[in-house]
Amino acid sequence: MPALAAGAAARASRPRARGEPRREATRWSQVAERGSLWGMRITAGCYRWLGPRACELLVHAIVAYFYLTDRRGRRASLAYLRRIYATPEGRDALGRPPGRWQSFLHYREFALSISDRIGIWFGRAGDFEFEMVGEEHLDRIAEQGRGAILIGAHLGSFDALRLLAERKRSRVNALMFTANAERINALFRELSPDVDARVIEVDPESIDSVFAIRECLRRGELVAILGDRVEPAEQHRSLSTPLLGAPVKLPQAPFLLAALLDCPVLLILALRERSGRYAVFAEKLAERVSLPRHEREQRIAELVADYARRLEAYCARYPYQWFNFFDYWEDAAR
Amino acid sequence: MQSKDEIAKWVIEIVSREFGIDAGALHLDTRLAEDLDLDSIDAIDMAVRIEEKCRVVLGGADLQSIETLQDVVDFIHERI
Repeated sequence: MPALAAGAAARASRPRARGEPRREATRWSQVAERGSLWGMRITAGCYRWLGPRACELLVHAIVAYFYLTDRRGRRASLAYLRRIYATPEGRDALGRPPGRWQSFLHYREFALSISDRIGIWFGRAGDFEFEMVGEEHLDRIAEQGRGAILIGAHLGSFDALRLLAERKRSRVNALMFTANAERINALFRELSPDVDARVIEVDPESIDSVFAIRECLRRGELVAILGDRVEPAEQHRSLSTPLLGAPVKLPQAPFLLAALLDCPVLLILALRERSGRYAVFAEKLAERVSLPRHEREQRIAELVADYARRLEAYCARYPYQWFNFFDYWEDAAR
Repeated sequence: MQSKDEIAKWVIEIVSREFGIDAGALHLDTRLAEDLDLDSIDAIDMAVRIEEKCRVVLGGADLQSIETLQDVVDFIHERI
């Protein structure tokens, strides 16, 4: 039998949906990355030459522009806030049914987050108070000399993990879907040479990134992955789980990698308490991910659902720091 | 596990078992990406199993030159 025919037969006998045409890019990936490398350079230059205050005003003006012109984003914001308000904790946090004002506050929080991240890029750790909750989990991993996978989300500031790298004196590698990883790393080194944090580029068409992750973990480093969005090429590695009252698709890859590479998995979120003050939460999701063949799918579904439950709790507590300004639930339903 | 035949038998067995593919459908000229549609998670899975069983480290750069199951067998045989 020719190889191609063998492969076709093989695919037909597989339990997973291999060989199926992969979906076209989902909404989030179609949204242009507005924070491009040039954008980062211009904003960093603005911070450097005009100062933090002027830079903050500029960022607010830009975000206000997007609030006024991005109807789809506003609609997504309001839909998310309504889901939050439907939970008892979310109702307490919002205080009143969400409307345009709450949606504006949501956008404003995004502006504040961007202002802070620029300060963080400049390595101005002294400008930030930084409370760590669950630090013992990271300490134990460091004592053991093990690497770990840190799963974050577009909730709060992923850049604040740079503060974590500085505080823990350990290297944090952040996975990003970008073709500019090397140039972003160069920019970060230029802005804050003392912070040992770098970006690993994820190219869906290449196997290099998973091997780069393996090398980082073997050196006892931390690898941070955003676990709340499914990259288009990874649709077949996602599963549906409830989040804020409706199913969403979340990636399995962080947990599969942890199982294969035998490392612990932590939830990590850096959430803004007030101006200049962040709380970084680290929670242990699994000390060791064991996926016995006969219960692999059930076990991985439990891990993803656990991640979603914890994420939901933090969304309700910090409702305005969810930075997915697209039809998050609608995308998952497609 | 020393001979190429033994390695080939093990490689087919492991690919069949781990990736849920009928062993009868697998041949040494089966291509990993095009025929089996193995992705990056599968690649690291295979690398880990080869390392555990054969004490041979398979890196990302090595996989760039591996196309078929026969290439996997040859890679292990050369380094074992």
